Amino acid sequence: MENKHQVPVTVLTGFLGAGKTTLLNRILTEQHGQKYAVIVNEFGEQGIDNDLVVDADEEVFEMNNGCICCTVRGDLIRILSGLMKRADKLDAIIVETTGLADPAPVAQTFFVDQDVANKTKLDAIVTVADAVHLSSQIEDHHEAEEQIAFGDVILLNKIDLVKDENIDVVTKRIRKINPFAKIIKTTKCGAPLKEILNLDAFSLKRILEVEPDFLESDHDHEHDDDVTSLSFVSEKPLDMEKFQNWFGKLLQTKGQDIMRTKGILDFKGENDRYVFQGVHMLMDASPMGKWPDDKERSSRLVFIGRNLETMNLKEGFEACKSE
Amino acid sequence: MTTDLNQFPQLDKTKFEQRGIQLEIGVPVTCAVSIGNYIAAGFGDGTIRIFSSGEKHKTLKAHKGVILCMAKDGDNILTGGDDGYFLKISLNGEINEITNFGSRWVDHVAAHNGNLVCSSGKVVYYWDKNKKEPKSLNHDSTIGGLAFDAKGRRLAVSRYGGVTVWKKDYSNKWKSTKLDWKGSHNKVSFSPDGKYLVTSMQENVLRCWRLKDKLDFAMSGYGSKVKSFAFIYDTSYLATSGAIDAICWPFDGEGPMGRKPICLPYIGNKQVTFIEPFPDEKAIFAGLSDGSVFLSQIENENNTIIIRSFTGSEVSAIAMTDDKSSIFIGDMSGNTLWTSIWDQ
Repeated sequence: MENKHQVPVTVLTGFLGAGKTTLLNRILTEQHGQKYAVIVNEFGEQGIDNDLVVDADEEVFEMNNGCICCTVRGDLIRILSGLMKRADKLDAIIVETTGLADPAPVAQTFFVDQDVANKTKLDAIVTVADAVHLSSQIEDHHEAEEQIAFGDVILLNKIDLVKDENIDVVTKRIRKINPFAKIIKTTKCGAPLKEILNLDAFSLKRILEVEPDFLESDHDHEHDDDVTSLSFVSEKPLDMEKFQNWFGKLLQTKGQDIMRTKGILDFKGENDRYVFQGVHMLMDASPMGKWPDDKERSSRLVFIGRNLETMNLKEGFEACKSE
Repeated sequence: MTTDLNQFPQLDKTKFEQRGIQLEIGVPVTCAVSIGNYIAAGFGDGTIRIFSSGEKHKTLKAHKGVILCMAKDGDNILTGGDDGYFLKISLNGEINEITNFGSRWVDHVAAHNGNLVCSSGKVVYYWDKNKKEPKSLNHDSTIGGLAFDAKGRRLAVSRYGGVTVWKKDYSNKWKSTKLDWKGSHNKVSFSPDGKYLVTSMQENVLRCWRLKDKLDFAMSGYGSKVKSFAFIYDTSYLATSGAIDAICWPFDGEGPMGRKPICLPYIGNKQVTFIEPFPDEKAIFAGLSDGSVFLSQIENENNTIIIRSFTGSEVSAIAMTDDKSSIFIGDMSGNTLWTSIWDQ
């Protein structure tokens, strides 16, 4: 069914002490005329007392669907289906993850569970980052790096405590991991809520609207397991069958290292633009109408993940170009 | 939610709708149980409505939030809610708090012969009818479902990775046995003859254990999650939702292994979302995702009648009174039907 009402769900992630609770308290206490439910984890930094706060245990479990990296949050399936039975309709739901959690299982829950997907939709992953400590956290904890990699919006918080030139260094570090995310610089998470909630970042339509902030690809990173991004553009149309073969196999074999993918594709012989986006092995793809007359047709593809340079992505992509 | 009525076949009101009472409560119906010739239904706003023939239904405000689960305890109703309360409610509307867990939800409740259980998170709380304080039974993951066997001797607790079956030994100590199968298990039920244990899983499949030798097997082929199932006519069939047909697995004789299920088709090709047995008959009520409800004989697929036509909203509760005279139907938009089954 088209146009069904789905409650948007924002995933709020970020390292310990970055300011997630500050943001949650703002969401719960500000006069915004909206009804938001907040799902917090029981090991949260401090208790928040409110009728619309639900305690959750982060229970990550594997699906028996042959997809090895397909883990989902079982508690979320239960809580979201419970929230959908409420008498008062919610305007949005915010899911807080613990500082050390991998955001992927939360995102994957929305791809995998039919009931969740029918009644709610993943709106965006919002990562709160501590401008003072982010650089060292990225060095020491792979989770901090992953949270940046998955983010659609990154609140670079506590900028009042950091010199301007250091803010630039941190911003560049973020950009290297994730060229897509919108970076909002804040003190005390003071960004307007409309820049954080209801963004529709996971809708395929949005992918057409957001131009990634492409960085010149540089490969001189310090550790082999650094999270990086690679992007490719082709003016020449792609061969659909070749692309599907290559991309399907790639996600199947390297899906654990590939964290997020997004792309707009121009296939030979097709009038429509094809848009897709994925989290690990799971993908959402659809034709999104004709190419606009004022725009050159081209294919663009972005990967965020680990060990991308070992996957021969450039060669693979080149080989998909039509004869 | 908007519904395009033109996409549904235009049906007249059924005779059950004509003679019954239809309400538009506007809040999801979450559960319903029969208590004698009364039906208690729980709603997403914390209210309970009690229906009986010849009287206007009674409305009680029981919980502050969603009523997540309901069970019958003698002449009383047990409810658990997302407000953290576990309540016992009499048919006259007297509400007693058994306990409350604050911000933790009460996800499941069950009762047998005055002994009560509820689960909240990973813990099952068991109240022996002779004791005031509950016994806590701990599990490693959140509980997906609870069920007593017919005699109330065993309590099955489904969870991630399988089912834990609890039983009191001769010295009255709780002992548990684990039935393992990878994945998340939700609703759980013993067969009425006590020989089988069935769970519905997060994947579109049912898992079954034959308890005498712990042999386990899957019942699969569903197009969606199996949210509702019930044993029919003692342990003759297991009727299940999760497909566009009601799928009825034969459990008589040597059980369902190697045998094909009976598939009962319904008009409109909508998913079956709720199954309720017709007591003491090889017949089921099947509720569909478009709100329609049918009564079918399992062994005669031509003998199907429509009880309620579509409402556009998934059927979430069906309950029949113990005297088999009346039924209650509710859906996720709060449309209810309370009607007598037999022609006057």
